[in-house]
Formats: sequence, C-alpha cells, structure tokens
Amino acid sequence: MARIELRKIRKQWGEVVAVEDLDLVIEDGEFVAILGPSGCGKSTTLFMLAGIYMPTAGELLFDGIPVNEVEAKDRNVGIVFQSYALYPHLDVRRNIMFPLKFKGVPKAEAARRAVEAARLVHVEELLDRMPSQLSGGQQQRVALARALVKEPQLLLLDEPLSNLDATLRLSMRTEIKRLQRHTGVTTVLVTHDQIEATTMADRIVCMRKGRIEQIGTPEDLYERPDSLFVASFIGAPPINLLPGEARDGRLAVGGTELELLGAAAGRVILGIRPEALRPGEGGLPATVLDVEPMGRETLFLLETPLGQLRALLSGATAPYGAGDRTAFTFDPEDSILFSESSERRLPDVHVRLPA
Amino acid sequence: MAAPATPAARDWEALARRARWRRTAGQSLLIAFLVAVSLPIILPYFWMFTISVSARTGGVESVVLWRASSVLVPAVVGFGILRIFTDDRRRLWAGAAAIAAAALLALLLLVGRDLHLQNYRFLWNPDIVEEIRGAATASIQFPSVWVAFRNSLALALTQTALVLFVSTLAGYYLSRFQFPGRGGFLQGLLVLHAFPAMTLIIPIFLLMYWSGLLDTLTGVVLVITTLELPFSIFIMKGFFDAVPWDIEMSAMTDGASRRQAFLRVVLPQVRVGMLAVGVFAFIKGWEEYVFVRTLLFDKQNWVMSLYIFWVSEDIMGVDYGIVAAVAVFYILPSFLLYIFCQKFLVQMSLGGIKG
Repeated sequence: MARIELRKIRKQWGEVVAVEDLDLVIEDGEFVAILGPSGCGKSTTLFMLAGIYMPTAGELLFDGIPVNEVEAKDRNVGIVFQSYALYPHLDVRRNIMFPLKFKGVPKAEAARRAVEAARLVHVEELLDRMPSQLSGGQQQRVALARALVKEPQLLLLDEPLSNLDATLRLSMRTEIKRLQRHTGVTTVLVTHDQIEATTMADRIVCMRKGRIEQIGTPEDLYERPDSLFVASFIGAPPINLLPGEARDGRLAVGGTELELLGAAAGRVILGIRPEALRPGEGGLPATVLDVEPMGRETLFLLETPLGQLRALLSGATAPYGAGDRTAFTFDPEDSILFSESSERRLPDVHVRLPA
Repeated sequence: MAAPATPAARDWEALARRARWRRTAGQSLLIAFLVAVSLPIILPYFWMFTISVSARTGGVESVVLWRASSVLVPAVVGFGILRIFTDDRRRLWAGAAAIAAAALLALLLLVGRDLHLQNYRFLWNPDIVEEIRGAATASIQFPSVWVAFRNSLALALTQTALVLFVSTLAGYYLSRFQFPGRGGFLQGLLVLHAFPAMTLIIPIFLLMYWSGLLDTLTGVVLVITTLELPFSIFIMKGFFDAVPWDIEMSAMTDGASRRQAFLRVVLPQVRVGMLAVGVFAFIKGWEEYVFVRTLLFDKQNWVMSLYIFWVSEDIMGVDYGIVAAVAVFYILPSFLLYIFCQKFLVQMSLGGIKG
C-alpha cells in the first residue's frame, strides 16, 4: 500500500502535451477515479503511474520516495487493462502465477497464492482453463487476480468495465469495490464513464485536455462543479445550459428575466439539472415537446421562455403528454452559474424565478 | 413480363427447393473446379513416382501410370463419396481401410510385376554411371548421394536458423520501435523482395570470388539468407503487429524486463509465424538451384539440386528411372515438412500479410 503523490507531472510527445503540470495526492488505501473524455490524458497518467511511460517533467512519489526513474518491473504495481491482456499461451493458473515468477517466490508458495487470489475473485474452478475459453467477465476476474496476487502497492484499472455487457458491468462494479475494501490497496481507476467513477471511487479527478478540471467526491462534482466542463460531463441526462446576461441584480435568459441572488455581471451561463426541475404552480410556463419514458423515470423536453429544457421526473407513467401546457419550477440552490469567459463557476450565485 | 408476386402467392416451398438446389450445385461446381485445377499439379508428381519404381534402363512406359491411375482414381472418388455419406468416424475408418485394401490388391495384380527398386540403387551405390555404361563414360565421378544430401541439409538448416534469428528480432524491432528511417526501411524491404535476384548473379559471383567464399557452402548460405530475409522480416513484422501492446506492458508491470517480456510473452504469440517463416526458409534452401549452380563447383560441395542435375545431364542419354528416383528422394523432406506444417502455412498466408 502506498500514498501516491504527483508533483507538477508533465508528459510531452514531441510538441504535443498529453499531461500538463498535474498535481495530485492519492492517500494510502484510497480509491480514486480519473474521469474524462478520450484524449484527456487519463491513460497517459495511468501509464506514468505504472512506469510504462516516463514523465517529461515533475516528480512522482510513492510513499514520499521519488520513483520517476524506477522501471515498471520494479514498481510493484498491479494493472488491469481494458483488454485484460491475459497471456494467451498460459492457462489461468500460470497467468496468475506469472508476476510471482519474477519476485523469486518459491513455486509451491506461488501456486498456493495463485489459488488464494483466484478464490478472492471467484475463479478457482477455472484455474486450468486457457484464457480463450473464458467469457469476458471471467477474463476480467482473472486479470484482477493476476494484478492482486503480487500484493501491489498500487492497483491500476484502465477502463476495466467497458468491454462487459450491462449486467456484468453492474456486478463487477460491486465486486471491484469489495475487493478494494477487502485488500485496502490504493487504487486508481481510469474511465470515461461517469457512472463507473461515481459509483466506485472515493474521489474523482476530472480531467480535460491534460489538465485537472476538478478533484472532489462524487457529490462535489455533481452539486458543485467547478467548471462548465465538469457540469456538462457529470450527470445523465446532461445538465441544461442556458446563456444569459447578468445586470443590476437580474439575469436575462432567452425571452425572460430571472432574479439574481448574489453578485454577478456580464455574460454568464445558467445551469439547471434536469432532476432539479419539478412541476409547480406559478413557475415557468412550459409546453411539453417530447416525452421519453426511461423506466422508473420519465424525461420531458420542454419549451419554456428560458429556452428548451430537459426535465426528469420520477414515476413510470407520465403525467403529461406531448403538447400539454404546464408550469415548472426549481429551487434557487439548484441553479448554478458560470462565467461565460472563464467557464468557471460563480460561487454562491443563484437565480430565482420572479415572484 | 413477370408480375410482382404478392406475398400470399409466393410459393415458399419452391423457393426453399431452389435455394437448396443452388447450394448443392454451387458446391459441386466448386469441388469439380478444385479437382480439375489440382489434377495437372498432382499428375506429374504421381507419374514421377511411378517412373521411379517401374522404369527399367532404356525406356519409360506409361502403361504402369495408366493402370495405377485406373485403380487409384476410383479409390479416391470412392473415399470422397464415403465421406459425404458417413459421419460416423469408425465406419469411415473401416470403409477407408476396405477401399485401401481393395486398391492395394488391384494394384498388386495389375502392376505388381512391373515394380522394382533398382532405380533407387544410388542410395547405396555411388557409382551409378559406371555401372550402367562402364568406366568409359565416367567423365564425371559422382559423389555419394549422401554427401549431397548432407550438404543440402546443412545449407537449408543453417539458412533457416539464420533467417529465423534475424527476421524475428528485426520484425520485432520494426513492429515496436519508432526510429528514423523506419518507413523507408519497410518500403525498402518490399522493393528488395520484389527485386529479381537473378539480375544480381554476376555481382554476387564477383563478390564471392573476391571475398574467397566462392565454392563454399558458407557463401551460398549467406547469399540465400540475404535474399530470403526481406520477405521473412516483413512476415514477422506482421505477426508482431498482431500481438497487442497490452500484454507486453502487462508483463513489464508484472516484473518482467523488456527481454523477459519478449521471450516469455511476445514470442509465444508469434510461434506460428516463426514456424511458417522457418518452413519457407528451409524449403527455399532445400530447393535452391541457380545460386548453387553458379557458386559451387567441387563435387564434394554438391547439393541435391546439383546432384539431380548431373544425373540427368549424362551425355549418353538419360536414365529417366534414376532421375525420377533421385527426384522422389529429393522431394521427400520438403514434402514431409509441408504435410506436417500445412496448417500453419495456410494461417500465414491468411493472417500474416495484413500487418
């Protein structure tokens, strides 16, 4: 187990900057997810942690010791690749035993530990199979066992669930979380799937274009996104974003004006989550354009004076049909304002529907 | 004027019947085509074989060929029909054995009296020419066929080993590492492969002469290896390209050094490619004629192709029986190799080139 510290870590491929001045501390035993769209530098960061890439600049510390130049093979890091990367020519037992071969673990003990690791991820009955005879979920478990068998000080998961089908993904999510709690290993998960990040991780690092946009708990990122990017990246269905102009305590959005709570001026962007909207007397007059039933919830596309809004209401049966006229409202605390120029959130500024 | 058939009027039974008929007809046509194409390839070899076991000094009779064919063709056709109508393994084997026994009996009756092994006497008696025509014609003293066989084997095996060693390492390097001139190198390989090697024969001769390698097996090995390498490297690069990066990186985080990862994880994935390249290199060395004819003079340096050339190059007329027998002996090793490795060679032509 280790406390991982990244100090101004930078990775450049020629002129292209993949990761720019990354500062991050991962506490011992913590489960951190690095979340971001493809090309944001999250996998590069992961490979730098693993020792496969060497940082161009900055310092990488494991338990306070610089490991920049320590090779991958000496870092004692377990990694699970998106493709699982099982060795096709070795059976499951040999796959799991493979890392121990290089640590000088006696054969008998290696075999015992392999069985133990297999039991931990429930693949003990598959030990004599070849990887090609396993399903995706089983391969995933074997890859986890192989990463855990060497008792790594850091476990890295590279998009571990994206090749699984929906049900398996759900169970593997719980499984990985259980394993992480059970072993207490410091874990870094890289994903572009916000659900994976929010359900599994203690903290989320949201990245964009090689930079950290925000570090926080899942609630932080959802309720108090630091930037427009985080706000739009987190949450499904995505947040409603409406451009407006703040002046004299009022916010002009679309064809109407809202009451501004807090100090703001100039061009801003108003964000309201679809879940924050609810039907309410005296609210925004709204015309239902489209209804999308989503099981326990229903998504409405509304035409309002603010512009088009998506609203998510619980309940399988829709209270409205397309073409209905009604009114929607929201709590001022659920409104988020961003500066249009800097795309940062304006803290403690909200809007209220005019009385 | 076909009126568009309404769905109700469509005769599904007839459509199914037609599809079935078409499938059968297509399959039969394909098989007939393949048989027709393979006949002209198989027939000469078969004829060669029959000559080698039946021809007597002075003449070649085709009678044995036709009689043998009249037995073997029905036997093969019979086996084909048997295979179509039986799925049961044991009955298939029993049927095949019965057919084989019947064919053997028929062969014995029809051509048994014409068969003899006299033409193979070169295997134990090096003085084949003298025996036939007396010492007067022995302008060329023949070495033992085993000298030529040993030379051929040495040539083919050394060349195979060299080609395998170099092309594996070079293919890996070209596949995995970026270096200046890599693209040009790859294009160069293709150009070299397409370049007609025969045009180099005089320069190579001079080169061998100046370097003192003329009339040595070493020289020939070097020349053939060089000419064979571009294609082999290209094939091996294709196989390495197909090995995912992930398993290599995984091996390195599992504690393997780059060399260990290459030997333990990557190399086993390209076994098939190495086998294919090895077989081709061996056959190439075994069948080589033009360069050995040009670069080797001494009888003790003869390889099998030179041996067969000199056997057929007798001024007093050719003994086709012996030529055919030597040819059968010459073909045997590459034939066996091909039979055993057929599966992998096919895989190479399908899978290796796409890299």
